[in-house]
Amino acid sequence: MEQSGTSTLLQGAVQDLASSVVSALRSGDHTHVLPAGTEEAGDVTLAAVRVLGADALLPGTLLRTPPDPAGLAVFRKAVEAYPPRADAAPTVRWSHWAMARALHRADPSGTFERPDEPGTGWLDGASWQFLTHQLAVLAPLALPGEDDGVTRAAGRRTVDVARGFVRAVRRRDWRQAAGAGRWLTLLPGVPETLGLRAGLEFVELMGGQDPQVALQLEAARLLARTGALV
Amino acid sequence: MTDTRLIHNVGVGAMEWLWAHRDGFRLEPGVDPEIGFLERFKPIGELAMICGVLFREGVAGSRQAELARRLLDTTWRETLDGGRMLVRGQRIEPMSPIPFEVYLPYRELGYSQPEIERWAAMLQRIDGWEVFETTPTRRLGLSAFQRRLGLTPRPPEAEAVKGTWLARTPEPWMVEGRIAYDITHCVFHLTDWGERPEGLPADIADYLRTWLPVWIDDWLDLERWDLLGELLVVDACLPRPTLDERAWKAFAAAQQPDGAMPAIREMPEGEPDDVFDVVYHSTLVAAFASVLATSRALSELAGAS
Repeated sequence: MEQSGTSTLLQGAVQDLASSVVSALRSGDHTHVLPAGTEEAGDVTLAAVRVLGADALLPGTLLRTPPDPAGLAVFRKAVEAYPPRADAAPTVRWSHWAMARALHRADPSGTFERPDEPGTGWLDGASWQFLTHQLAVLAPLALPGEDDGVTRAAGRRTVDVARGFVRAVRRRDWRQAAGAGRWLTLLPGVPETLGLRAGLEFVELMGGQDPQVALQLEAARLLARTGALV
Repeated sequence: MTDTRLIHNVGVGAMEWLWAHRDGFRLEPGVDPEIGFLERFKPIGELAMICGVLFREGVAGSRQAELARRLLDTTWRETLDGGRMLVRGQRIEPMSPIPFEVYLPYRELGYSQPEIERWAAMLQRIDGWEVFETTPTRRLGLSAFQRRLGLTPRPPEAEAVKGTWLARTPEPWMVEGRIAYDITHCVFHLTDWGERPEGLPADIADYLRTWLPVWIDDWLDLERWDLLGELLVVDACLPRPTLDERAWKAFAAAQQPDGAMPAIREMPEGEPDDVFDVVYHSTLVAAFASVLATSRALSELAGAS
């Protein structure tokens, strides 16, 4: 019971945080996305920041506004509190790396040391179904102008990601669809017949009540405006 | 690429089941007029069409070819009474295209019933027949059948295809079961049931190459074997078939030891006639997909050597 109580709390905190990010992306005001200091941020909040990953800083990243130092301190604490274990899955390593990159960018003068980029071998020869699932989990990496290994791997397989988007929509997996859709707004050579713009609207109407879906769609909207990745 | 033997054996099993259950291809002369005498003609027409594909492709074993020939003979001579039942059905529902649709594959295999051809020629001249309301894909099929019978199609196929779902190459995430059947049948008509893969316009072929893998993946996981079989036929109609290994293995594994292919998930239980009515189509589709995919796999092997 205790465990499920904790996971419900965490899930609620993740949803709240995602809602704050969505509001900030829509309004342009992101000063109150993260708690205003490490003292106020309890374990559940820190865990929620870790779950949402680099997207907790997304408003600052996409809107190119200076970071709020107090919120940044919370973000840094979350990065440091949850380092990937030696046997962590590639997506865990990469999402942690993405947080480190976001932190480093937001505070280039800070003392935080950026870890080395993890490998992408696990995506070599991956089926389009698995590839899309993994990329959707790593949607915080889908940002304009980046050149990391996952982004390069995604850029080589646009049609496969588009297939994965269709699969996710068909299966009513709105989080995966929204994450894949966010990648597709950046990738070159998306098939015209996909109807991505209408597809994202469809996902929003069907699953946009979920803040984690709404966050990806809002990110996609901003990315579509800022232009392609490669 | 999938083992050709596995693909071929699906068709071998399917033909054995169809032969063993040939009594299921039956008419019901005393049927309630509300249901309609012509309802039971459809399975017979589909059987003849698939047997025609089997002879055309020439990749069936001698036993398969023998069963196909006997099935055609039996249904033509006994069930259709040498085609006279088609004429009877036409007189019951004079505007129905069904007798003509059922007749065409028999005609192409050398069976003949001149009176049905007179009916077809007469109907083809009637304006009301050209515009009676039906789905665009069915309309395309009727035009294709008119051409195959030697008539001038009304409307021409190039015009008929324009109204179909597939010709517009729409958003692939909107496809659900009924639309998927429209897609498969549109491909059957455009390629003369796999005889002319070049009949697929380039944009449609490209659209299918891109999105067919998603639909195959989807209906495979849903264990909709009937639709999956039709999608595997579509794959075999593409310029470069994938002969998807995962799909073919699961399709083969779903087939029963006696050759029956369940329509959805597992075999239904019930009276033999009722079971036949549920699974005859998926079993015919299994034979169709098998013969076409085998033929394409062998052509690729021949081309590669």
